Amino acid sequence: MHVLELERVTKLYGEFRAVDELSFTVREGSITGFLGPNGAGKTTTLRMILGILKPTTGKIAVFGQPSALDVRSRVGYLPEEKGLYKKMKCVEIVAYFAALKGVDRRTAKSRALELLERYGLKDFAQKRTEALSKGMGQKVQVLASIAHDPELVILDEPFSGLDPVNQQVLEEIVRDLAARGRTVLFSTHVMQHAERMCDRILLIARGKKLFDGTVPEALRTIPRRLVIESADDIAPLRALPGVLALSPLAGDAHKPGTWEVRLRESSDPQEVLASCFEHGIRLRRFDHSDPSLHEVFVNLVGPEAREASYR
Amino acid sequence: MRYAFLVAWREYAENVKTKGFWIGIFIFPLMIWLMLSAERWIEKTRSVRSFVLVDQSNELGEAIDAALERLYQREVLEAFGKWVQKNSAQGPKLPTAEELEQMPALGSNDVVTKWAAGNPELLDEFLRNGGLEAAVAQVRPLLRAEAGEFVAPRRSFQRVALPEGLTATQEPAQLAEALKPYLRHERELVHDAEPVELFAAVLVPADILERVVRPGAMPVLPGKERQGIQYWSANLADTELQEEIEVAVNEEVRRREYEAQGVDTDTVQAVQRTHVPFVALDPKKEAGQETVSMADKIRQWAPVGFVYLLWIAIFTISQMLLNNTIEEKSNRIIEVLLSSVTPGELMMGKLGGIAAVGLTMIAAWLLSLFTILQIKAGQEAQLATELLEVLQGRGLLASFIVYFVLGYLLYAGAFLAIGSLCNTLKEAQNMMGPIMIIMIVPLMTMAFIPKEPNGTLATILSWIPFYTPFVMMNRAAADPPMFDRIGTLILLVATTALVLWLSGRIFRLGILRTGQPPKFMELVRWLRSG
Repeated sequence: MHVLELERVTKLYGEFRAVDELSFTVREGSITGFLGPNGAGKTTTLRMILGILKPTTGKIAVFGQPSALDVRSRVGYLPEEKGLYKKMKCVEIVAYFAALKGVDRRTAKSRALELLERYGLKDFAQKRTEALSKGMGQKVQVLASIAHDPELVILDEPFSGLDPVNQQVLEEIVRDLAARGRTVLFSTHVMQHAERMCDRILLIARGKKLFDGTVPEALRTIPRRLVIESADDIAPLRALPGVLALSPLAGDAHKPGTWEVRLRESSDPQEVLASCFEHGIRLRRFDHSDPSLHEVFVNLVGPEAREASYR
Repeated sequence: MRYAFLVAWREYAENVKTKGFWIGIFIFPLMIWLMLSAERWIEKTRSVRSFVLVDQSNELGEAIDAALERLYQREVLEAFGKWVQKNSAQGPKLPTAEELEQMPALGSNDVVTKWAAGNPELLDEFLRNGGLEAAVAQVRPLLRAEAGEFVAPRRSFQRVALPEGLTATQEPAQLAEALKPYLRHERELVHDAEPVELFAAVLVPADILERVVRPGAMPVLPGKERQGIQYWSANLADTELQEEIEVAVNEEVRRREYEAQGVDTDTVQAVQRTHVPFVALDPKKEAGQETVSMADKIRQWAPVGFVYLLWIAIFTISQMLLNNTIEEKSNRIIEVLLSSVTPGELMMGKLGGIAAVGLTMIAAWLLSLFTILQIKAGQEAQLATELLEVLQGRGLLASFIVYFVLGYLLYAGAFLAIGSLCNTLKEAQNMMGPIMIIMIVPLMTMAFIPKEPNGTLATILSWIPFYTPFVMMNRAAADPPMFDRIGTLILLVATTALVLWLSGRIFRLGILRTGQPPKFMELVRWLRSG
């Protein structure tokens, strides 16, 4: 069963199409990365899923229900812009948000303490949130969003503003959730996180879906390539069946005698290496690395992201 | 509903913890206490005012001295009366409700003063019987054992001698010129080997008795007033001495006139003290009980206090509501909240929670008011007893609560809408301007309305929903017509419902909005489309 289902969802702000006919589904127990450039419509989409905003047209179903509020106890949400009540104690605020999701007050409090302790905030449990640093406040808020043990957790930019150590703590939290069969949907700009953690990637730009699939599938969208450097004539490589194109390496890394070799998906880079030996091409560099999600992102969104309008 | 309650509970718990709330709770009784104590403090701290009196006529000085002495004895008698009441063996006695009903209505709060002042015989008797010492000895057995010594109040005025180098025979103009530095406190003169500031100088010219103005005579020309008695003082606000002396010299002059005309002054005095019984009656009271009592007066004016209380309470807590709505908005907590509760639930929770804060505050105020009034027994205690009775008896408390709730919801709705449109307090303050102006009116009219509680102004204002709670509370004691009461209430309820509905829509649309608050026309468009 799908935990979350969007069908041709559109959100208009006046003339502006923030989200444009977006459809996707999220499977139970998966970790889905929601990627896209600034202003792509990620936050708007998440807000619509949570029922904070109403879509202009289209249908959203959360656990089969049209409004997330009907299943509020099963959904957890961390908004993009983070804030807490300054005068409240950490444990109180975590417990309060859990109580708002239907947990009874005593259980909420004990669970809040337990969570704060488990993720290294025990000493701050009785402190007011104004005493916390920004990153710690954010951690408290992440905990507040999962304190009612939701089945679906939606995190909007959870990693931004966290130092590397706390980014790891957050990854741990997400993995813990997934390990217990919870469904996680999070948006991010940091491709490494998405690549490491996600079962699935959803990439949107200008409100439209550009890609929807697993990470390996995403990586396959850009041709595999090699970078080789040699003073010798490399023309014979063109004849290889696996080679699609051969061109001087462009961009910052450009040096005379540096070449980019684009390969067919099925081909083996070793064939190129073997061919080089065969033709006596002496290599100064033979660089074969799998493409990263970063490259996928730039490749798919690239030129558009630069001109994307900020709202 | 459960979620609205959770929101309300948090609002309540968090606001009750704030410093502002506690300052609000304590500042009110503190003010009352200060007000009640101020008189005594001023009395205690006020210095004895020194004056010089130069009577070149040798005619009026004695009369002035005697009048000031009598004034002092009156003050002693008043203080003595209060001391006896406080220390009497039965403890400080509070008048019962029946006694209050019997007590004649007086304009001022100080019954003893008026009683003593209005009864020259009593003062005469007091003085005749040996004054303070004899009186203390007489009441001593009736007092509680632990009653301390009676300490007579200090004199308000003391007459001091002219500074060295000046003689009483100099020209008044010269004297005045020489005294000016003393009167301006640039120099001090010496009295009983202590330096004292000169408060006033009174100069009576030698020919004062020839200056008496009689009916039919030419009026005193401007610029010629100086030919009479000159009263010099740098303090223009404290006119007590000036008035006492003026009354004293005129009485003395009139006494001499009587004598000159061959009228017996004792007879005149006796005649002056005759009077007929005079009573104010209220046709609305039961037959046989129509006498306007102290209780009636208090009843008449008590609503003014309630209006003030209502006003402060409503605006204190509406402000709270505005502040924390803006906090939630600028902190973006609102988004988490809205993923858990509907905007409607959030709004209801906030309104309810803050209303509970307000009711707690009012309850604390009333409680402390009565406690203070009970502790500070005496004249003010009557007020407490009476207020309690008024509260219970006339349904004022019920109307107070009804008007508080409705008035609060009306203004809170408006404040909430503003809060949801603004991101900072500064933006909110700009939008608050018009509301502030609306708010001032009931404060300004508060004191006039009881004088004409069913007059045109009062009636018109009560039909304006934004003023209904205050003005109707103001009029409550005067039994306004049933039509006004019911009609304005219905209108108020309807308006409150409308404002809440509108602000609910604005709240829903505005709460997630960032950036500039919308222009008015934009807002209207929203309300239409949203």
